Formats: sequence, C-alpha cells, structure tokens
Amino acid sequence: MLSPEEWEVLALSLRVACCCVLLTLPPAVLLGWLLARRDFPLKILLDGICHLPLVLPPVVTGYVLLLLCGRRGPLGPLLDSLGLTLAFDWKGAVVASAVVAFPLVLRSVRLSIEEVDPRLENIARTLGASKLRAFCTITLPLAAPGLLVGALLAFARSLGEFGATITFVSNIAGQTRTIPAAIYTYLNQPGGEEAAMRLVIVSVAISLAALVASEWAARRMRRS
Amino acid sequence: MLRLHLQRRLADFDLNVDVNCRYQATALYGPSGAGKTSLLNMIAGLLRPDAGEITLDDEILYSSQKNIDLPPERRGIGYVFQQDLLFPHLSVDENLRYGYRLLSAAKRRFAPDAIVELLELGPLLQRRPTHLSGGERQRVALGRALLSAPRLLLMDEPLASLDQGLKSRIIPYLRHIRRELKIPILYVSHSVAEILELTGQVIVLEKGQVLAHGDFFKIAAEPGVLPLVEQHGFENVLPVEIVAADAAAGFSRAHCFGQELKIPHTSQPVGSRLFIGLRADDIILSRQRPEGLSIRNALRGTIAQISHVDGTYWVYVDVGRRLAAKITREAVEELGLSEGLEVFCLIKTNSLRLGPGVE
Repeated sequence: MLSPEEWEVLALSLRVACCCVLLTLPPAVLLGWLLARRDFPLKILLDGICHLPLVLPPVVTGYVLLLLCGRRGPLGPLLDSLGLTLAFDWKGAVVASAVVAFPLVLRSVRLSIEEVDPRLENIARTLGASKLRAFCTITLPLAAPGLLVGALLAFARSLGEFGATITFVSNIAGQTRTIPAAIYTYLNQPGGEEAAMRLVIVSVAISLAALVASEWAARRMRRS
Repeated sequence: MLRLHLQRRLADFDLNVDVNCRYQATALYGPSGAGKTSLLNMIAGLLRPDAGEITLDDEILYSSQKNIDLPPERRGIGYVFQQDLLFPHLSVDENLRYGYRLLSAAKRRFAPDAIVELLELGPLLQRRPTHLSGGERQRVALGRALLSAPRLLLMDEPLASLDQGLKSRIIPYLRHIRRELKIPILYVSHSVAEILELTGQVIVLEKGQVLAHGDFFKIAAEPGVLPLVEQHGFENVLPVEIVAADAAAGFSRAHCFGQELKIPHTSQPVGSRLFIGLRADDIILSRQRPEGLSIRNALRGTIAQISHVDGTYWVYVDVGRRLAAKITREAVEELGLSEGLEVFCLIKTNSLRLGPGVE
C-alpha cells in the first residue's frame, strides 16, 4: 500500500499532531479559565494576542517563529540552554502547528468553562474544596466535552498545517516532512501523483476517524 | 453565635449590617433585592465585604482591621442555594459525599447513612441529579451541605423553586435539622408563613439596612416592618394556647387573648403554646356575632385603624394583637366601619395555619 517513505511521513504527522494536542491543551485550560472567570487589566489585549495566529497568514506566523527561535533570535539562547533545537527539527513542526492551533483550542476550552455555572464551584468551596480542587473535580469534568473538541481541533489543525511549518522548519524528509508537505513535494515531482493520492486518502481517513471518535466520546460524556 | 458587622457597596445601595444571631434558627426576611443573598455570600466567604468583621463562635472569619479573610473552604459553613445546584456529573451518592470525603475522620459529624435516612434519600442514591424531582434535588442539596459538618447552615430561599405541596414536605426536615442535629440555621425567605414554620427570630433587611431584628411578633409592630410584610403577602400571626384536642372532629380548641379559637387539629399537648398564621384575605368582618353560619371562629375586637393603599382597605382590628383584614371599599362603607368600633373577625378553622411552637 504505502511505501516506507510514505509510512514515515504518516508516522511523523501523527507524532507531531499528538504532541501538538499535548502541548496546547494545558496552557489553553489555564488561559481559558483566566479569560472565562477573571477580569484583569489588558484582558482584551491578551485575548487578542492569543487569537492572532488565527487571523495571521500561517506563513507570517512561521516567519515570526523563525525570527524568535532562531540562533540569534530573542528566544535562541533560552532554547540553547534547554538543549532544544527547533529549527529543521520535528519538534519545531510541533511548535509551529501548536501556535497555529492554539487559538482554536483556547476558544473551545474557554467557551466550555464559561458554560459551567460558577456557583457550582462556589458550592464546592463551601463544602470544603480548595479553589484548585473545585476546578479539577467540578469545572474540568463539566467542561470535558469542550476540552475534547479542542483536542480534536488541535489534532486536525496540526495534521493540515503547512504554511507555518514549512516556513519555520522547512520540508526535510524524515524530519519535518508531514503529510501536507509530502503531498506538495510529490505533486512537484514527475510521476508523484500516485503517491500524493495515497496520502490524500490517508489524511481523509484519519480526519474522518478523529471526527467520528470525538463525536462518539462527546456523546458518551454527555450521557454519563 | 454569629456576629455580623459589615459594610459593602452593592450595585444600587450600600449594605450596612450590624447584628448578632444568637438563636438556633434565625430568618433573614426582606423583599427581593434587599441584599439578603449578598449578605449570605459574605458570610460564606464568596463575596468580600468592603469593611467590617464576621465572627462565628468567637472565631474571626473576616476582619478588615485584622486583615483576616478565611477562604470559604475553611469557614465550615454549609450553604444551600435557591436552586438546588447539584453537581450534574456526579450521582446522588457522590454529591452527598463530596464534602464528607474532604473531611478528616475527626471532623466528620454525621454518618452518610444517618443523613440518607433522615432525608429519606435511600432510593435515590444511584441516580443522576437530572433524574430527580425539584423536592428531591433540594433534599440532596441539604444532605450534601449537612455531611460537610457545617457549624452554621445558610439557606437562601431553599423552597422558592418548589410548589406549595413540596414546601410543606420539606419544612419538617428543616425542623429536624434544627432540633436534632443542632446546627444553627440562617434562613433567607420573603415568605413570612415559611419563616414562621421554622422560627420566630427574624432579621428584617431592606435596601441593605437592618430594619428590625428580634421576635417577629414584636418587631412586626415596629414602623416600616408591617408595610413591608403587607406588600409581600401579608400573614397575620396570633399566639395561642392549646386547651383541648378533638382528633375525631379534626380540630383543637385554643385560647387566644382570652377568646376561644378552633384551630386545625394538632398533636401538641394541652397547655402548649404555638403560633398560628392567618392571611389578611381570609378574615371576614361582621358588626354582630354571627348566627347560622358554618364559620366557627369569631374573635371580638375593636377597630384600631383603617388605611387604604391602592384601592385596598386594610382594617386593623385589635383582638389583643392587631389583626389586619383586607376588605373592599363597599364593605367598609356598607358596614359603616370606623375606628373605635367593635367588630367580630370571622375566621374559618381551615384557613388557620399552624406555626412553630414557642420556645
């Protein structure tokens, strides 16, 4: 079916997408709670900054990442000291798709937290739960369907990410060549249409499977 | 004892409260928007006062001067909201044990089984809150608060969302809690009838100010309190002493300021004193002692005052305590009612409601 090279592309794409979900969800929960429950100065500005990648062309996002995280960028020394290399590395692809997917996840998480009646948290507090415990035992489980949708959006967005990734970490086989980049590459090669078509079918299948799985899980959650 | 000395700026007015609640049960009475819920929220630690002090049994819960503000989870105060607000993702059993599980064994006061039995929740334990009726949900909310072993129970119109039938079924549970579990209750309501089923101690709050505080039957006569009570479904209240019970006939005989009154049957022993409630609409005035009527009660009194508000006439008859009767203008004119006149207040036995005993 798939050539070893195509399997590699698929495995890399799935790895990047899963890491993108794991990377975006925790900060999205924190910021989502902050934006849903707290009022503070410059809230609108923070909200705007978080949503910026949604409206910027992905190529711009990728270029900004390149400027920030390059060797000589402001975050370069920090990344160096952590021993993290992002440029031309699959981890860079995760960062690129995470930044692009973050507003989608944040939006979904924030809306679902806003829908939880804050009085339920208050009740939990009067019953002896700390703020954190009330959040973890009441708010988070009730917002779970929204978190799930957020995770799916991050997964799907990462799977489809092209512009920011290719600008930030280029298109290196085995390192940063995810499905969209691979399709693009095959289409530019003579006789590559067949391989491209196989990857197109694979990506349709993954996306559909993810949608069905999340809908199924959301229904189960709602029922319980 | 709960000591409240608080100021807080609210949207429409300043809340300014300075009272001590010494009793097992105290009711917080006032019209909607008087600041009752805000006051409860401040006691529970959900809303920060601007200044003042809250102490419960000599422990400072909040003090602006000493810079103390205990978080809600460390105040030990149970709170039952107007809507039941059960955790929708947990079963009834898990809801009940939410606070209980957070307590160390030494701090647990009631066994879950005992509370389940007291509130008759046994058959509901495995259900989800969405599959409960309004009354059931409110009982679960009550049990959940009790199992967190509170030193004080705040109840914000816990019966407001229930219909009359359900209300009268919940109130006995509340009396149980007050008597058997000995948890002090601060109970918010804008229904005098509901309050009097539970307690006689009332704090009257209007626009953030304490209008009066104390025994309802004393403060009802204070200026400002009666008009407030009247606006919100006035109920007359009379103290009576049981002199005889006739279970077969379905009524008990009682004395009220030296006059006899037949009240609905009660199991209270002869000699006990209790309050009865009576709506102003349910009093018929007559110039003569009636004959040939099915009405059993005729209290003699003199008209102390006649006032009219928005086309309604309020005739206050002194029968030892002032009873307010709501009368049409035609009736006032036809009967020639005037202040100082002797009249009879005709009252059907079944329109009398039994209140709490005098403690």
